[in-house]
Amino acid sequence: MNAFHAKYQTEIEQILAKYPPERKRSAVMPLLFLAQRDDNYISPNELADIAEILEMSVTDVASVVGFYTLFYDQHEGRYRIQVCTDLPCALRGAETFFEALCKELGVSSGGTTPDGLFTIEEVKCLAACHRAPVFQVQGDGEIAYYENQTAETALQVIAALREKAVQEARSREGAA
Amino acid sequence: MANQVTLTIDDLTVTVPEGTLVVDAARKAGIDIPVFCYHPKMEPVGMCRMCLVQVGRPMVDRATGQPVLDADGQPKIQFSPKLETSCTIPVSEGMVIRTNTPEVLRAHRDIIEFLLTSHPLDCPICDKGGECPLQDLTRAYGPGQSRFLLDDKMRLAKHVPLGELIYLDRERCILCARCIRFQDEIVDEPVLSFYHRGRSMQIVTYSDPPFDSYFSGNTTDICPVGALTTADFRFAARPWELKNNASICTQCPVGCNTTLNTRREVKSGGKWVVKRVMPRQNELVNEIWICDKGRFGYHYAESGERILSPHVRKEQGLVPVSWDEALDLVEQRLRQAGAGTVTLAGGRLANEDLFNLAQVTDHLGGRKLLHTQVGGGEYVQRYGLGKGSNLGELGKGDAILVIASDLQEEAPVWWLRVKRAADRGAALMVLNPRPTRLDPYARFIHHYRYGEELEALGRLAAGEGELAEAAEALRSAENLVIFYGSEGLGLAETTALAREAAGLLAGSGRAGKVNSGLIGVWQQNNTLGAYDMGFRPEADLAGALSGSGLAWIAAADPAGDHPALEAALKQAGFLVVQDLFMTRTAQMADVVLPAQAFTEREGTFTSGERRVQRFYPAVAAPPGPLADFSIAARVGLRVGIELEGASAATVMLRIAASVPAYAGLDYALISEVSEQWPIIGREDRYYGGTGYDNHQGLGVQLQPDAVTDPDGEVSIAMAAPAPLQVPEGAVYLAPVTRLYDQGLTLKPSMKIVGQRMARREVWLNPETAARLGFGAASLVTLEGEGWTASGVEIRVDEQLPPDVLLAPRSVGIPATGPEAVRLRPLVTEPEA
Repeated sequence: MNAFHAKYQTEIEQILAKYPPERKRSAVMPLLFLAQRDDNYISPNELADIAEILEMSVTDVASVVGFYTLFYDQHEGRYRIQVCTDLPCALRGAETFFEALCKELGVSSGGTTPDGLFTIEEVKCLAACHRAPVFQVQGDGEIAYYENQTAETALQVIAALREKAVQEARSREGAA
Repeated sequence: MANQVTLTIDDLTVTVPEGTLVVDAARKAGIDIPVFCYHPKMEPVGMCRMCLVQVGRPMVDRATGQPVLDADGQPKIQFSPKLETSCTIPVSEGMVIRTNTPEVLRAHRDIIEFLLTSHPLDCPICDKGGECPLQDLTRAYGPGQSRFLLDDKMRLAKHVPLGELIYLDRERCILCARCIRFQDEIVDEPVLSFYHRGRSMQIVTYSDPPFDSYFSGNTTDICPVGALTTADFRFAARPWELKNNASICTQCPVGCNTTLNTRREVKSGGKWVVKRVMPRQNELVNEIWICDKGRFGYHYAESGERILSPHVRKEQGLVPVSWDEALDLVEQRLRQAGAGTVTLAGGRLANEDLFNLAQVTDHLGGRKLLHTQVGGGEYVQRYGLGKGSNLGELGKGDAILVIASDLQEEAPVWWLRVKRAADRGAALMVLNPRPTRLDPYARFIHHYRYGEELEALGRLAAGEGELAEAAEALRSAENLVIFYGSEGLGLAETTALAREAAGLLAGSGRAGKVNSGLIGVWQQNNTLGAYDMGFRPEADLAGALSGSGLAWIAAADPAGDHPALEAALKQAGFLVVQDLFMTRTAQMADVVLPAQAFTEREGTFTSGERRVQRFYPAVAAPPGPLADFSIAARVGLRVGIELEGASAATVMLRIAASVPAYAGLDYALISEVSEQWPIIGREDRYYGGTGYDNHQGLGVQLQPDAVTDPDGEVSIAMAAPAPLQVPEGAVYLAPVTRLYDQGLTLKPSMKIVGQRMARREVWLNPETAARLGFGAASLVTLEGEGWTASGVEIRVDEQLPPDVLLAPRSVGIPATGPEAVRLRPLVTEPEA
């Protein structure tokens, strides 16, 4: 059993049980999501481990990661703040909203904050044009959606996430 | 035969089997539909859109189900509102295809324009330029000008090594996925894939080592642009400078047909040199593929280490002399030795060489010995594939048994052909002591213990236990092909295995049948030809050599192979060696005669499937060396036998007259060709790739003796191998074959495949290694029967069975068969 399998043994067994044994490779997407849960990216080791579990070539697993935009093979921010700036959203002020967020975070588009918490990026349609400005936060194995946003409300979301990280760090220190 | 379908393509009426794709039907009728992603050896994907055509089908009245007729009583044809991809549509009755209407030509022009928006058009520096489908089709169909902005062109990496053998130019890639599909569908080693999508899509490999496949070079042939190039040929020459010379690969007994591309060049002093090896189509042998060893391993022929003049031993050692002086001495000593002459030939020699050597040896009354660690050729001569056999025809209802062979390592293209037969439904049985790359395609797998191959075969024949089902499949199979190899085996063991396998074939009444028979996976390309010319392996080779009045060694290096043979050669009365290189044996010789390489002369090889195939000279031989058959003829003339020494073709006439199996053969017959499908390598290189069409001969398959001489028998004076006893403290050594070994014919290609070559190492199960007290990567000294090998690295592999040590052949570990060896930690000499 490889490292990734050992780390998430229960979850992996549950996922694999959903597919017939000869169609193991169908589990590639759920396993990739699982690998991305802790640090929001899929490491080369996790890639190799998933390939081994599913009896696929590493190249084929990597190809799935490459195809889907919500899988990442680069270690960036713990939270990815993804703002739609397509035309309908732009008409509702998404561009200025995005610029304001970048300014507040002190990074440019695609950049990561120095504390490693946030990566901010422009994305294509999030399917909520009528409630723009809209963004989603991907991290901690979840995707959360925020609609009808202003810079102020978005910053509250960011502050809450930052607070969560601080609390976690404190409780870790306390435990140690 | 499948039902025939008649359709019309550009006013031409074409009849083809049901299921044929429109693009292929057109190709058969001589109408070229341009393609990029479609390849006749692979499933269509319809990705590139280049093959768009107008498709019309007969109108059918929905109420009656009857065809609608026009005023003339002809079926009315309804054309699709849009163009369709001809590579994804099977033909149907009454279909009308138009490939050259303004709409279709417009589509071709637009697709080319699209493809070129992200193509660098760097043809002047591109290796593919001159044989490039994109270049050709752009000239034929392209718009000449682009409406897209130059600044929007993709700028991507141009020298991406996909491993050290193949380079990718991302800018040139048009994303047709031919390389990905080849690795996936044909080889089933999916080490290439797409990454990202849309305009960001790219080819990637994540395997370790990168692009991990023995067939990687083929992707450069079928790449329709200059995106994939080999490390060997990139920036080496322009295609239009190259001449094509038909040849046969010398690396293994498959006998792949190849084309040697040569050119004259200044940097080689104005000489003709081989620039690359390309596959030449022979659907009966290698189709349009070759393995990477065959593609990159030819450099030995042009090595600077070659012997260029005869040498004779004098006081100061071996000194260069004239041919006359050397041959005078050989003549004198041969006359003295007479019947005490022992000729030892290697399986690298051509049939013509072997025949002349045999004639001279027979004339003197000497012995004709074959240097091989795989035996059983007599059984293959008798029960080999029936004339007219083609592994490409095996499929549902047929059975293939592979025993004691890691086929992908020993003969990659056979591995590919067997795998493809299994894909088509043939029942594949793999009997081997450890898992191999053939197991995934096997219907029946049996891993026996090393040394128990005969028992395993016996259990299969008897249908015992878990092999009952396999035995039934074997019994009921229409055709049966048996491959036997040398996994963990030596001469005596392979001979015994061949006998048992032959018995299995003969007992089932399949001897001599087309598409049935026995195939030995030899370590040299022409071992079977050597058997045919009368050479036989000798169990006590050391005894035969040490007792010889004169040992005449051709294309073999016994001294380099084993210390016992080296010692035996010292006892020989006189030693004559003819070879390409100053091997260890040659260094001991009294006379050394320089031989020509296969690129410099002509001749024939007999493949493991008993196909006699012809190779042609590609480059001029350096002054000095002679073809082995010429050397033998010159020697023959001096000792009183007249042989053909001027031309290989006339030697073949002599062979045909005196070797019954070769009766009626001549070079014209061997050079005959017939139409092959798919049609490749002509003007329309976009269709099948840059591999070569075969104009120089498909070869002639020999009829097995079981057919020509039904009452004949096989007699072999070789003792059955005794089971190996492993004493306390020793371990069972099993010699195994690695494709990239350090043999004479591969080592000069080191700069290309060096990183993948088998090292001086042995492989063990980790528990066995621990029991013996050695960790992975530790260095040991091996002590075998009469030899030691030091500085050998321990490697571990969990898949290996316990209590056995796998030693790759040709890496400096002299084991010739299974033996008990002792391991000692390598003690470095204390510094003085």
